[in-house]
Amino acid sequence: MEGTAILTEGLTKHYGDVEALIDLDLEVKKGEVFGFLGPNGAGKTTMIRTILDLIRPTSGRASILGMDTHEHAVDLRNSIGYVPGDLALYPSLTGRDTLTYFANLRGGVDWAYVDELAERFNSDLDVKVGDYSSGNRQKVGVIQAFMNKPDVLIMDEPSIGLDPLVQREFQKLIREVASEGRCVFLSSHTLSEVQRAADRVGIIRHGRLVDVESVDELRSKAIRRVELFFDSEVDSSVFEAVPGVREARMNQYSIVLSFDGHMDELLKAATSRYNLVDISSQEADLEEIFLTYYEDEEMPV
Amino acid sequence: MFANVFTKTSRDRLAGMAIGAVAIALMLWMGTAVYKDIDLTLYFETMPPAFLELMGIPDTGDAAGLAFGAIYSFMGALTVAGLAISMGTASIAGEEVNGTMGLLLGNPKSRTSVLLSKTLSLLAVVAVGGLILWGAGYAVPAMLGVDMAPFHVGALVFHMSVNAVFYGLLATAVGAWTGSAKAASGTAIAVMVISYLATGILPLIEGLEDVAKLFPWYYFNHGAPVSNGIDWGDMAVLGSLAALFLVIAVVGVNRRDLRSRSIGASLIDRLREHPLTKKATERIAGSARVSRIAMKTASENQGLLVICSIIMFYIALMMGPIYNIMDEAILSLAAQLPDALVAMVGGVDMSTAEGYLQAEIFSITGPATFGVLTILIGSRAVAGEEQRKTMDLLLASPVTRSKIIAEKSLAMVLYSLILGLVTFLGTWGTVVLGGLDIPVTNVAATSTLLTLLGLVVGGVALLVGSATGRTRWAAYTAAGVTLFAYFLWSFMPLSEKYAGWAKLSPFHYYLGSDPLVNGMHWGHAAVLVGLFLGLVVLSMPALQRRDLR
Repeated sequence: MEGTAILTEGLTKHYGDVEALIDLDLEVKKGEVFGFLGPNGAGKTTMIRTILDLIRPTSGRASILGMDTHEHAVDLRNSIGYVPGDLALYPSLTGRDTLTYFANLRGGVDWAYVDELAERFNSDLDVKVGDYSSGNRQKVGVIQAFMNKPDVLIMDEPSIGLDPLVQREFQKLIREVASEGRCVFLSSHTLSEVQRAADRVGIIRHGRLVDVESVDELRSKAIRRVELFFDSEVDSSVFEAVPGVREARMNQYSIVLSFDGHMDELLKAATSRYNLVDISSQEADLEEIFLTYYEDEEMPV
Repeated sequence: MFANVFTKTSRDRLAGMAIGAVAIALMLWMGTAVYKDIDLTLYFETMPPAFLELMGIPDTGDAAGLAFGAIYSFMGALTVAGLAISMGTASIAGEEVNGTMGLLLGNPKSRTSVLLSKTLSLLAVVAVGGLILWGAGYAVPAMLGVDMAPFHVGALVFHMSVNAVFYGLLATAVGAWTGSAKAASGTAIAVMVISYLATGILPLIEGLEDVAKLFPWYYFNHGAPVSNGIDWGDMAVLGSLAALFLVIAVVGVNRRDLRSRSIGASLIDRLREHPLTKKATERIAGSARVSRIAMKTASENQGLLVICSIIMFYIALMMGPIYNIMDEAILSLAAQLPDALVAMVGGVDMSTAEGYLQAEIFSITGPATFGVLTILIGSRAVAGEEQRKTMDLLLASPVTRSKIIAEKSLAMVLYSLILGLVTFLGTWGTVVLGGLDIPVTNVAATSTLLTLLGLVVGGVALLVGSATGRTRWAAYTAAGVTLFAYFLWSFMPLSEKYAGWAKLSPFHYYLGSDPLVNGMHWGHAAVLVGLFLGLVVLSMPALQRRDLR
């Protein structure tokens, strides 16, 4: 189970003058779910298409399962499942035809497993792809990536268009795959999605890998917008003293906090003196985290 | 009113039209140079006026007149009309097929105003093409020292432009009414090709001269605008029909549900839905067509193959019987036609059965039909997958890029062979029906060489598509190369000075040995096979070394 699934060394890609990917060093292990997190246009898709040999790096190299991604591109694809971002399929084929086509190109597909996946995702495979809604088309894209049980799954924003129920099933599936010692690499621009599914998270911005952290670390970093409701007026200084509170704003019986500390300490402060009636906690969006933590690391223009 | 749509559409298309017009102008220059180099006076004395009128050649007896007839009235008119058809198809149906129609109509503009802006830009782009051709029509003869006084270049170009708008709006109307880009371009091209051929052949048959008036191409050329000036009656016919198409388009686009992204139902799909044929077709369609890349590619192009086959088969089959009923007098006149004129129909002697079949089936119709088939397959092979964004997923499978090229080429070979067989059967049928004295082996040889020529043309499209990932570049380059090769082969030999150039053209290796008369020329076949294989092999590194789009 131990071992490296994906390794990039100094991976760099320029499009003319545009530096889409800069000196990326990354290691993803077998049995791991790795989230690749970044805002739109950060270089996520460029990185994925580079390690799949669809585009070629300007410099640096990448390997998957110990094999160079360019030299062994074809062999490697026996062990890779891929969901492209901006998925496109052949509109005149049905879902089942589509899967059959790719199954024929790959070999080793167990149709019982395909049917099981279709069932789990509630996907009707007898409809033409052109007649699918975008979510249903995405399901076919996801099924084709999982169907030959590849050792490494590379997915570019895979849960786009999937409804919450299907997303939950999808995350369950990812965990199952990882527990079998296979590797899942998925990109996303939403923190919550990555947090739910991934073990570790790589954060990319302007083509640079800014940080790699465990989800727990990231979660502790994540600023939350916490609102606490009480049955009487409270003193804001009590809360401002709690480590991690960045901003506190009083309403009549409630207080709104920008908070990135441990929830445990905050709750202790709240309940030791007052009667806590209700609590609401929302995660801040990704941009806010970037602004807070990674702004300084942005490269000089 | 809807200036953005107008500007964008015009900008997208102007380059194509400008390239087309400049290419035609270049050919005019080369054609005039060749004709100038040979003595023409004798030919004009022997030629019947009816024939001159038919070919759109002014009877002034000099080089420029011939060149205008050959280049402008034929290649130029077909090119400009073809580009107009491509614009007309894209105007409504194209937006629907691309799935961009919804976005466009998300703006506070009506369907009618979108249609009208697109039509306006069709007119503007055709006008630009016309202006370039008009300017070249004066500049080229002047540069070569040819007297321009007797010619009405403006009139000819005006006829060409109105003619192009007619076909463009026909495509617009069909596209607006049905939402199918295939139906739009298919109908307009079919009407254009059939009416071009009909107006060429019908007047040669006694008693059928007037039937030609039923075909729109007649109104473009029968009045010989380059010598007689604008024929306002003819222009009124084309213009009012074009206006009618526009009305049909407006009604059509407003009357129906727009498609968000249309998928045409193929024949197989329809058979698959019908309860009687469901089981049988499921067996073929379901598994076979997705069994490998070549089969998938073939199935995507089945409609195209069927259309090309029907056109090829019927045109071939008609020719023998027509040959028999053609006026003896015209045939004997044809025997005395000058080489310069004969070059226009592919450099053959129309007075013999072989020459006639070569002119009517093999020199233009054949390469054009094969070209449509192989250029479309070749340009979509790699570039099409990239533009539809399905290439990423295809390459997520353990296949090499070279394997994709090989599989796509296999599909192209398979379909060319089928079309070659159809051509052979149609031509053989016409030889039998017409009681012509041509050995079946010679028909087979010519069909085989035609198939190989088609593959070479498709190979060019494949190579450009593989190197650039752009279908339009691939298709236009291949079509341009073919047109140029045809020109090189048919016109250059007229002049001693330029005769050697013909050997640079693939057409030389196709018809240069007169295969209908002399049978198979294995050396030439080998050259064509070698060219095709070379293009396929070159496509592999072209794709291999490149970032996919």
